[in-house]
Amino acid sequence: MRRLILGFTTGLLLLTAPAAFAQTVGFADAIKILSASCGKDIDKYCKSATLANNGIGQCLTQNQSKVSQKCNADRAVVASLIQERMAAQAAAPKVCANEARRLCKGVKAGAGHVLRCLLKAQRSVSKKCNTAIDLAGYR
Amino acid sequence: MNKFLMAGISVAFLAVSASGAFAQSKLSRNQIINSLQGAQQKVDVSADALQKAAFENIAKYPGANSPGNLPLWDKLASLRQFNIEINFDFDSARIRPESYEAVGLIADALHTPYLQGQTFYIVGHTDAKGARDYNLELSIKRAKAVREALVTTFQVPGKYLEAVGLGEEQLRDPAKPDAAINRRVQLINVGYR
Repeated sequence: MRRLILGFTTGLLLLTAPAAFAQTVGFADAIKILSASCGKDIDKYCKSATLANNGIGQCLTQNQSKVSQKCNADRAVVASLIQERMAAQAAAPKVCANEARRLCKGVKAGAGHVLRCLLKAQRSVSKKCNTAIDLAGYR
Repeated sequence: MNKFLMAGISVAFLAVSASGAFAQSKLSRNQIINSLQGAQQKVDVSADALQKAAFENIAKYPGANSPGNLPLWDKLASLRQFNIEINFDFDSARIRPESYEAVGLIADALHTPYLQGQTFYIVGHTDAKGARDYNLELSIKRAKAVREALVTTFQVPGKYLEAVGLGEEQLRDPAKPDAAINRRVQLINVGYR
């Protein structure tokens, strides 16, 4: 299983080449990846399931033994990449707190003002904070 | 829950490559952010009041079509907002797979610091074909379906999202009541609450 995941992750990085160092994905990109991997299975097993109550996910889980291996594997990987993005978004303000104090004095917190300041100051921002912003998908 | 989460997100690539979805594939997260960010005024229109106004409009002005703007609408019209077309199965609140990506883009936008912490109304509208009360009920179900997709599959905190259906009571183009332009989901930023 772990090997599968690594294999897929490599593929994913190639797929999303423009975001060179980002190892997380957002929801819209996740959909693109999974529709390629699971589209046929959903047509086959989950025709009446809905997105609204997580129905398609539950349906694929219920039919796990019949669903293609690629779909099962990619679902697991994409789910973890999404969770990593969510975690990165939660972590970014802390990782960048010093930079924000140093480079964004007087910028009002909230509504993305600090992020906008840090994006503008990219070249003066530490690698750690820039990476945190990348992983959060905020670029 | 997280385990099957992404499973929700699926069929879409098929759809994106299909012809009908071309317009949606041009949509970007930043476009949604730019339209929605910058909430300024305080708004005193609750989602419940807006919903009630739609029902009252039908009761007060029965007939084939709504007479015009809902009374509360003027207060919302100047707010930061974004119209998006989301396709549903016919007569149903099931979001069609070709629109999953659009809902995903909304989620990605709502997960950025530019929009976090602000409350959004998800307002569903139909065109004027069919009975007004039927359209109103359908639009409520559809707005709720979009909200639920965002809250479950796309992990947007539910406390910031309220679903309202207005049926055909607030047409985008009253001169062409049956036109497709009237069928839309509208996101309205009602600010920090």
